[in-house]
Amino acid sequence: MGGMSGKVEYAPRDAEPVRPAPARPDVPVLEMRQAVRGYGGGDARVRALDGVDLSLDAGAWVAVMGPSGSGKSTLLHCAAGLDTVDSGRVTLLGEDLTGADDRRLTRLRRGTVGFVFQNFNLVASLTAEQNVALPLRLAGRRARREDVRSALADVGLADRARHRPRELSGGQQQRVALARAMVTRPRVLFADEPTGALDSASARTVLGLLRGMCDDAGQTIVMVTHDPVAAAAADTVVFLADGRVVDRIERPSARRIADRLVSLEV
Amino acid sequence: MFTLSWSTLRDRKQLFAGALVAIALGVALVQASLLVLMSVSDPVIPSDLPRAERNEMREGFVGAAMLMGLQVPLVVFLAVFVVGSTCAFAVAQRRRDLALLRVLGGGRGQVRRLLAAESLLLGVVGALCGAPLGLVATWGQARLLEHVGFVPAGFRPTYWDWKAVLVAGATGTGIALLGSWNAARRAGRIRPLEAMHDTGAAARVMTPGRWCVGLSCLALSILLAVGAQAADMIGAVTIAMVLAVVGAVALSALAPLVVPLVARVFGLMLRRSALGALAEANIRDGARRNAAVAAPLITLVSLVLGLSGALGVLARSIGVEQEHLTRGDLVVTSADGARAARLAGIPGVADVSTRLTVPVPVTAEVRRDGPGAARPHVFDERVIAVDPAAYARARTLVPVSGSLADLRGDTVAVGSAVPAEGYRAPRVGDTVSVDVAGRERTLRVVAVLPETLDIGDEFLIPREALPADLLAAAPAESVLTVAPGTSVAEVAKRVRAAGLGESTTVARWAQGRADAQQDGNDKIFAVLLGLAGVYALIGVVNALVIATAERRAEFAVVRLSGLERPQVVRMALVEACAVTTIGLLLGGLVAAAGMAGTARSTAAATGTPIVVVPWGMLATTVLGAFAVTVVAAVVTTREATRERPARLAGART
Repeated sequence: MGGMSGKVEYAPRDAEPVRPAPARPDVPVLEMRQAVRGYGGGDARVRALDGVDLSLDAGAWVAVMGPSGSGKSTLLHCAAGLDTVDSGRVTLLGEDLTGADDRRLTRLRRGTVGFVFQNFNLVASLTAEQNVALPLRLAGRRARREDVRSALADVGLADRARHRPRELSGGQQQRVALARAMVTRPRVLFADEPTGALDSASARTVLGLLRGMCDDAGQTIVMVTHDPVAAAAADTVVFLADGRVVDRIERPSARRIADRLVSLEV
Repeated sequence: MFTLSWSTLRDRKQLFAGALVAIALGVALVQASLLVLMSVSDPVIPSDLPRAERNEMREGFVGAAMLMGLQVPLVVFLAVFVVGSTCAFAVAQRRRDLALLRVLGGGRGQVRRLLAAESLLLGVVGALCGAPLGLVATWGQARLLEHVGFVPAGFRPTYWDWKAVLVAGATGTGIALLGSWNAARRAGRIRPLEAMHDTGAAARVMTPGRWCVGLSCLALSILLAVGAQAADMIGAVTIAMVLAVVGAVALSALAPLVVPLVARVFGLMLRRSALGALAEANIRDGARRNAAVAAPLITLVSLVLGLSGALGVLARSIGVEQEHLTRGDLVVTSADGARAARLAGIPGVADVSTRLTVPVPVTAEVRRDGPGAARPHVFDERVIAVDPAAYARARTLVPVSGSLADLRGDTVAVGSAVPAEGYRAPRVGDTVSVDVAGRERTLRVVAVLPETLDIGDEFLIPREALPADLLAAAPAESVLTVAPGTSVAEVAKRVRAAGLGESTTVARWAQGRADAQQDGNDKIFAVLLGLAGVYALIGVVNALVIATAERRAEFAVVRLSGLERPQVVRMALVEACAVTTIGLLLGGLVAAAGMAGTARSTAAATGTPIVVVPWGMLATTVLGAFAVTVVAAVVTTREATRERPARLAGART
């Protein structure tokens, strides 16, 4: 991510200006302690998270896997401050998210975290360039054209700046979404099934880009996926079942992940 | 931020166009009402016309001013209602977009400011578009008034007045801001998480604000409906009109609760076909959307039925009252007094009571209510000349003060229309002046007649007070009592054979009075609700267009599941028809509540509960509503399904 260095002056005020380098490598980027989150009421109450303990280090790419309904998405939402836990504690970059008010969470979204979604979530009416500039504008920062262009160049879409989402392929749309997430230089990138809606070639491109961010710039990535191939691109895979962390594998192969997943399903 | 607004505007044309149309037309309508009100309140009456004509023209203008005075608040209410509902709906439709903004770092204030700025912009643009449209609406309103005869042919209203234009524009902008204020406040509370769900978390439809408005208006409606039962007739009719407005607001606010219930009933009919079952599910699922479509319909129907029903009751009551007041068998209308005088000579006629309408201006020196010096005021251009004894036999009207027996020589009995014009009524002992063929005569008031629903015997003068030639030439209406043992029909035949006039039974004559009143009512109704009704219908179309345009992806999904495009259109059509029915039923419910009140109070006043269901108006409204929604549903659904479904199903819309 060499292109990022020119954008230091636009880094969020409350974020570290230089990366990688988390100030204290011993402090985990994300820490969840006995996190519980339930939905519904009465007999229908479901514990999506049922006492999750999780600690993630800076600069690592973690994939969260598990069968459908295992609580992957809820884990991501709670970790990113989009949802709140009923009990337990969630700490992101040393900041306690439990009971954080909207203002703090908004500030968090402006500079500390970035999001990529399965369905891209680009604003259909905006060009690629405008979509990428949107988070900067929302944060009240000047969106310099060269910053936006370099973010697009980083994902290989410099020539698509003026295109609208509907004129782009799914893979290209997801790369625009990636550029949009990265333009604020977030400390943690949260990706919710980023390859879920892509063909395998596009998925490979996106995973390659994520790998590059992680290796070159020490980007911390938390990714939810159900695709063993996607998970195999990560450094660590955390397995979730029935709202609990049941396993953790470092540098796994896709086959090993698939086997583990099958064993969880049965 | 504004890049986003502008591009959203481009992408969601229907949403913004819908709000803009609602605002612009609302502004136009308010502006037209104000301008016409100003024009008829201060009319130019040519001084070269004969006095009688000038007075008649002035009376017309006074009536028109009264109507326009009623119309202004009605139109403002409709504008508030339609614009508010459209703006709030438009925001609700963008919920996911707004949630995405929050995920990308947008603060609550930013989302609120974005919406407020947008609606301010919409309001200003709408007001600017509305001003020229107001010229057209003013023209239309003036022609309508001319058509029904309230203003003379060739009446030219003021087409431009800065004050009126600014007030209308400010009203439109203000309503747009207010309408989205609540929505913007709610939008600020949208949780970013909602952007993460594919279908978008079902937003809570029954917001606290909706509950509050719905329940308080419902409570007020119930109070009004109960109050109407105890009120006198005019009171009950007035209450029925207010109820039409308040009840419509209540049921519109609570519509999201009612829509699924009614959908269930529909489901019993629809469930047999797969398409019907899908439509039923959609109706229940899209409660917010369907409530937005139903709201203007509810208002339209309750206003149309409520107002025309109340006016109809008034007309019918006049007939009933006149029938009760009249004692006799036949009413004969004769061309002049001379012929009427010969009625007594027809074999089989036991008694004749003739009312002669004599063109004699009546002036009295009376005070206006409140402060102000006594000054002469021309009350009427005609007096009714009667034989007091015969009048008393044929009419059961008992004076509230004085006595008809004193009606001898230069005397007069006065009726109820006098205080209605804002002047203190003459009392027994007062004097009024009449101008009889150029000679002024002073008459002493000897009796005051009670108020009746119909305007009629305002100035009763004994025949001997007027010259015989005037009486002989005056148009006459006589109540005949047929001698026992003689056939009424036979007497009627003899009257006609003698060329003395046309006979009708008292019942039929009373009905004629009611019909005449109803004619006047229809005109009033056309002026009051003509343009406003069209506006409400446009509101329905608006909501439908917005709702359908936002369903592209949903339609694409059902097409991918195997529905053909015509089937999708049919499904949307079934939904639109069901929602229209719901709107019509709820509007009818409000109108029915008003009618129940008037029925009770008319029963107390006349002995018979009177319920007038304006079937013609009902049929027109029902057909009009269905025609409009069916066409709008077909056109918008075809438009929304034009693209190939595979492209749309996955795309964020």
